[in-house]
Amino acid sequence: MKTYVLKLTGVLFLITAVVAVLLGGVNAITEGRIADINAEKTAAAIRTVLPSEAEPEPVQDYADDTGLVTAVYRMGEDGYAVQLVVAGSQGEITMMVGVDAEGAVSGVSFIQMSETAGLGAVAAQDNAKGRAFRDQFVGKSGSVAVTKDGGDIDALTSATITSRAVATGVNAALSCVANFG
Amino acid sequence: MNFKKQLREGLLTQNPVLVQLLGMCSTLAITTSLFNGLGMGISVLVILTCSNVVISLLRKVIPSKIRIAAYIVIIAGFVTMVDLLMQAFLPDLSNSLGVFIPLIVVNCIILGRAEAFASKNTVAASAVDGVTQGLGYLAALVVMCIVRELLGNGTFGSGVLSADGARIIAEPYPALMMILPVGGFLTLGCLIAFAQWLVKKLNDKEAAAK
Repeated sequence: MKTYVLKLTGVLFLITAVVAVLLGGVNAITEGRIADINAEKTAAAIRTVLPSEAEPEPVQDYADDTGLVTAVYRMGEDGYAVQLVVAGSQGEITMMVGVDAEGAVSGVSFIQMSETAGLGAVAAQDNAKGRAFRDQFVGKSGSVAVTKDGGDIDALTSATITSRAVATGVNAALSCVANFG
Repeated sequence: MNFKKQLREGLLTQNPVLVQLLGMCSTLAITTSLFNGLGMGISVLVILTCSNVVISLLRKVIPSKIRIAAYIVIIAGFVTMVDLLMQAFLPDLSNSLGVFIPLIVVNCIILGRAEAFASKNTVAASAVDGVTQGLGYLAALVVMCIVRELLGNGTFGSGVLSADGARIIAEPYPALMMILPVGGFLTLGCLIAFAQWLVKKLNDKEAAAK
């Protein structure tokens, strides 16, 4: 009986050990590449929202009252790029908002989202409707809201879940940058 | 070993999605564009074949009491490797399939074939089973994707032919509902009915021939 238990444990341990070694190997090959791809994605998102020649420089001590901001990058004298996570309709939306030196929105882009295909997901798409939606935020300062809430942002759909989430994110970015004075 | 018979079973008479009704979750969730369907189908095909071969190799070594635990470790190992490799080398596909790649671990098709086939058959037969069942899954996904993308988005092959695909139905007419979850259920239901009809017709023909 004892040897049988030992055999079960031994076989399972061996299988797990072999799988672990193989996974370690694959991880070693892919780790650097995945990190590079993620860094490049962030850099590309920053450049889309704030055209600037300056190198993005991460800011550590930012004041964020909303708890949504996950990173702030200073783009020399041109302004800031704020990365934040807001709640969408199907999960979290990771987005990047550019705020120029005058404190106005210079662009909005999305790093990761799982909104409904064809409805909320249009916000991130590179087509006429997606671009028109994102361009509405450009030049806005203070605070923004969708038309249903008395603002002047035309929502993507009448449920406005994604559009409201994006407006919340833009407001958080604006107030975070306003805190820099 | 009978490749032709196994291929027929995988594609139609024992199709994992349409006849065995396994792996429904991923089938309903990701079949919104041809790009997703091909990516998911090929991932499952590769993982299923690898895990079938390894499990078949180890079928005399793994004691039956711990077989499920051992299978899951092997399957999870392959899935994680595919996930990491995809993130590193095909970031677009990885982005669009999201959580469904890690979820292949609990996809019943893989564990089902390990339990029902690979644990009882030779390595070669298990490899063939992995490929044919994987092709069956891929075929079902591709059909679902083509139907849903055409009716719901009005395009064909977006992400494969070009970024937006070829537009077949003009802008305001596609029924958006078809790429929402409800469209997945509708398409799958019709497809299962069609597959059952086809299987019955084939069986009748064979009976008549006898």
